[in-house]
Amino acid sequence: MSSANASSAKVFKPRFNPAKPAFGALVFLLYLFLLAPLLIVFVVSFASNQYLSFPPEGITLKWYEMLPQESTFMEGMKVSLIVAVIVTLIVLALGVPAALALDRFEFKAKAAVQSFFLSPLLIPSIVLALGMVLLFGPLELNNTYAGIIIGHVAITIPFVIRTTLMSLATTDTSCEAAARILGADSWTVFRRVTLPIIQPGVIAGGVIAFIVSFDEAVISLFVAESGLPTLPVQVLRYVENSADAAVAALSVILILISLAVVVVVERVMGLRKALR
Amino acid sequence: MTEPKLSIVDLTKRYAADLDPAVDRLNMEVEEGHLVALLGPSGCGKTTTLRMVAGLMDPTAGSIVVDGKEITHTPVNKRGMGMVFQSYALFPHMNVEQNVAFGLEMRQVSKAEQKARVAAALDMVQLGHLGKRQTKELSGGQQQRIALARALVVEPTLLLLDEPLSNLDAKLRETMRTEIRSIQQRTRATTLFVTHDQDEALDMADRIAVMNGGLIEQFGSPTEVYERPRTHFVANFIGQANFLAARVGAETGRANLAGESYYKVDVDGLGRFGAIGSAGLSGSSHELVIRPHRLNVSLHPGAAQAPLAGTIERVSYTGDALAVAVRVGDQQLHAQMLTSSGDLPRIGDAAYLSWAADDAYLLPAAAQPGRLAA
Repeated sequence: MSSANASSAKVFKPRFNPAKPAFGALVFLLYLFLLAPLLIVFVVSFASNQYLSFPPEGITLKWYEMLPQESTFMEGMKVSLIVAVIVTLIVLALGVPAALALDRFEFKAKAAVQSFFLSPLLIPSIVLALGMVLLFGPLELNNTYAGIIIGHVAITIPFVIRTTLMSLATTDTSCEAAARILGADSWTVFRRVTLPIIQPGVIAGGVIAFIVSFDEAVISLFVAESGLPTLPVQVLRYVENSADAAVAALSVILILISLAVVVVVERVMGLRKALR
Repeated sequence: MTEPKLSIVDLTKRYAADLDPAVDRLNMEVEEGHLVALLGPSGCGKTTTLRMVAGLMDPTAGSIVVDGKEITHTPVNKRGMGMVFQSYALFPHMNVEQNVAFGLEMRQVSKAEQKARVAAALDMVQLGHLGKRQTKELSGGQQQRIALARALVVEPTLLLLDEPLSNLDAKLRETMRTEIRSIQQRTRATTLFVTHDQDEALDMADRIAVMNGGLIEQFGSPTEVYERPRTHFVANFIGQANFLAARVGAETGRANLAGESYYKVDVDGLGRFGAIGSAGLSGSSHELVIRPHRLNVSLHPGAAQAPLAGTIERVSYTGDALAVAVRVGDQQLHAQMLTSSGDLPRIGDAAYLSWAADDAYLLPAAAQPGRLAA
């Protein structure tokens, strides 16, 4: 019996399949195509070429050394970080309760509210930006932190609501009922049961909101170009005026920062779980 | 009689004004230490009733009284109850001990006492060694026990079980039945148990409330609801039953110890038989209920008195018994025979049915036309 099994197992051993390496090569090429711009930026940032160009003529670190002296970048970085942090906090404080309400309550205008919250995803940001400039003028919000933050909250809130709703959809509402029966009031139920359960969606939404806000150029450009330029605005301006590779060096730093955020979140709680 | 632990008075729940009520003026009293099963098909209002007692749902009308105190509008978290959900509802981000300790924490019990009581509760469900485990790592049966420990550790005023066994496989369900019942008896926790499984209810409960369409059709001990169903629905829902429309003749003058009378009844087209029922049924139409295993089946005529002759239409072999369907006139009657190595009935064979008057019970509610079914 056992020998018969062993021999039949041999017969069914998978043979070499030429489709496999071909598929692998295809995937590799696709990734290469997607990542090529990043790789080029990376290479250029170390190139000694006088102007932004490819291929490199030599290797240098002078662009990286230039960055700390480039006050516009440092200023922009500060503005962008402040904006992104505040936007993330506000958007979580608004988006999580909104998602809870949308998931747990039945009300008449539910569909309307849902599309209202998700609509900024569908409207071209240039249209939003134009509208905001016109609206913020009389309110004296142009060129202020408040103006940029309001704009960024509007475009990032859909992400937080989406990711939180996804987490909520998979939670068992009996857990909350169980906690209430065991004596917890509504706030305790939220803090001790609901929030920990939906935490992956909340964190994913927060990370996305942070990155989107940090990266946002259009609204920032319209609302606060002259008075409070964010980092993306400074980069645009810099590229307009000079053609050296300092921007490439800055880009590499930004990529590393994003990567660091992703790695930290992944280490702390598993981003893959968070983005599921 | 001592004061009931739980009284439900005219409890009503209407989900919408234009719908029939999900629970309709329900009344029930539960004695301290009893396990009461709310038994019925889906949509009968049993879960709604449980959720109103728990406080998870507001009643439209009526009141709920526990220990003589009205709690109809007391918030959920102030009722001091324990509940086990069908999905177990363990907190996924807490380990076993933290889950069990949650209710004690909410009651601001000291850390030392929490530890001792959690350990005792886990020992009670025989999972003392799993305290540090994550709940995800546990099997369905183990999760169920943790949920039970979490509900009981707070010494709840009432223990509420919402279909706690329906997510378990058949074998485990039987084990957990026995275990939940023995824990309930040891802790003397007054328990409401929602189930659609009549075997569970018969096996575990001190009292069964058979529910249908938002009403309690019958409230009684397992023996009462099985042996003395008050309505067609109860007889049909609990166990199998044969129903025969009968015209009740005069009382024979004999009565059993419970004060029930023996009657002679005319069954349409089949003849005249003995039956038992509550006093005073003479002269009207009632349904006769006979359980399949109380019907004697013989393959030879003359074995019993006044046998009904019929033809075997279906035979199903279940190992220790044979279930047979016998066509008698325009009715099909279900019966059970013990299997033996002797002659086994075949489809088409003649069969002779008889029963003892004690085993033919007249439903007290008058027979309703068109409600005959087996």
